[in-house]
Amino acid sequence: MKLLSRTLLKIASAKLAALAVLLVLGATATAMAQNPRIQTSQLEGLAAKASETVDVNIDESLMALTIKFLGKDDDERKVKELVSGLKGIYVKSFEFESEGQYTDADLESIRSQLRNPAWSRIITAKSKKDGSIEVYLMHTGAQISGLAVLATELKEITVINIVGPVDLEKLTQLEGEFGIPELGLEGSKPKRKN
Amino acid sequence: MKKSIAISFAVLALLALPGSLPVTQARGDGFGDVVKLIEQFYHVKHQGIPLLARAGLKTATTAARISGGPRRQIAEAGSVKVAYFDDQDFRSNSSYTRFKSSMNSVLTGWSPLIQVASPKEEAQTYIYLRDAGEKFNVMVVTIEPREACVVQVNLSPASLAKLMRTPDEMGNTITVDATTNDNE
Repeated sequence: MKLLSRTLLKIASAKLAALAVLLVLGATATAMAQNPRIQTSQLEGLAAKASETVDVNIDESLMALTIKFLGKDDDERKVKELVSGLKGIYVKSFEFESEGQYTDADLESIRSQLRNPAWSRIITAKSKKDGSIEVYLMHTGAQISGLAVLATELKEITVINIVGPVDLEKLTQLEGEFGIPELGLEGSKPKRKN
Repeated sequence: MKKSIAISFAVLALLALPGSLPVTQARGDGFGDVVKLIEQFYHVKHQGIPLLARAGLKTATTAARISGGPRRQIAEAGSVKVAYFDDQDFRSNSSYTRFKSSMNSVLTGWSPLIQVASPKEEAQTYIYLRDAGEKFNVMVVTIEPREACVVQVNLSPASLAKLMRTPDEMGNTITVDATTNDNE
């Protein structure tokens, strides 16, 4: 009888432990799924082939600093308003001398993150130089928590990741600021979802 | 025995390759670490005191310019450090990524703001930031085929915020101003 109760106790403990592990894993996966920060380190391999690489990292503390200290004149106040609440701006770009230096497989590390259901593709547009621009938004509840842009041309790749409440209008106004390149998105008509 | 000899030869072979080993050194102020890293990685030597003095004098003016005002704002600059490498070989056989990762590992406690590499032009620019209480340490490292420059300035948060809007121009603004004589 004692042996049976011990065995049952062991089984119950094991099930509880397994449940706890699942809960922790689930919470971690959810947290990762809801993270608007795109990892671009897997693109590093392209640096060896690129004629120019640019890597801009404006993290939360630098964003906070910028927001706090900008605003002396109208122009600064406008920019301050645009970036208010943002928690980071990250830009990575590669320029190549010739075509065919990268493949879709190279971009898969970015696209696989953006296929996460938390991200919605809001724009797919043709760029001026035979390329495309994909714009994605991440929503957390009713609020936008991040934006990602994957712009590809025959000789260029640009990944822009803005963390925080940002929309397409803000993005277009931020072009040329904080290392965000000119994307020429103004004429694009938003498409809904993938 | 044979195995250990083979390992020794492998280590010697690695040592013989320029810039092939990660540079290990004591953690210091960041500026000195970067200068040492460049010297070890590219087998070069930085310039002596006369140039530093000249650059130092100039940089005081720089800080005033960056902060957008007259020289009374010089105090914002705090200390300025400049190391210059003139007429030496920085061609690296595409070891940019290795140099970049060495920089990142040497500059612990610093945040990389912008890193630009143009292998075709053999040019690299790095800007790192560090919170230093009421001010920010800004380090700009510029490497070109025949010369390099390391500049560290202290900026007020307001000056830094202004420069943050165009991070791609920040390095040039700081370096050019810090290393160009007023009379030039």
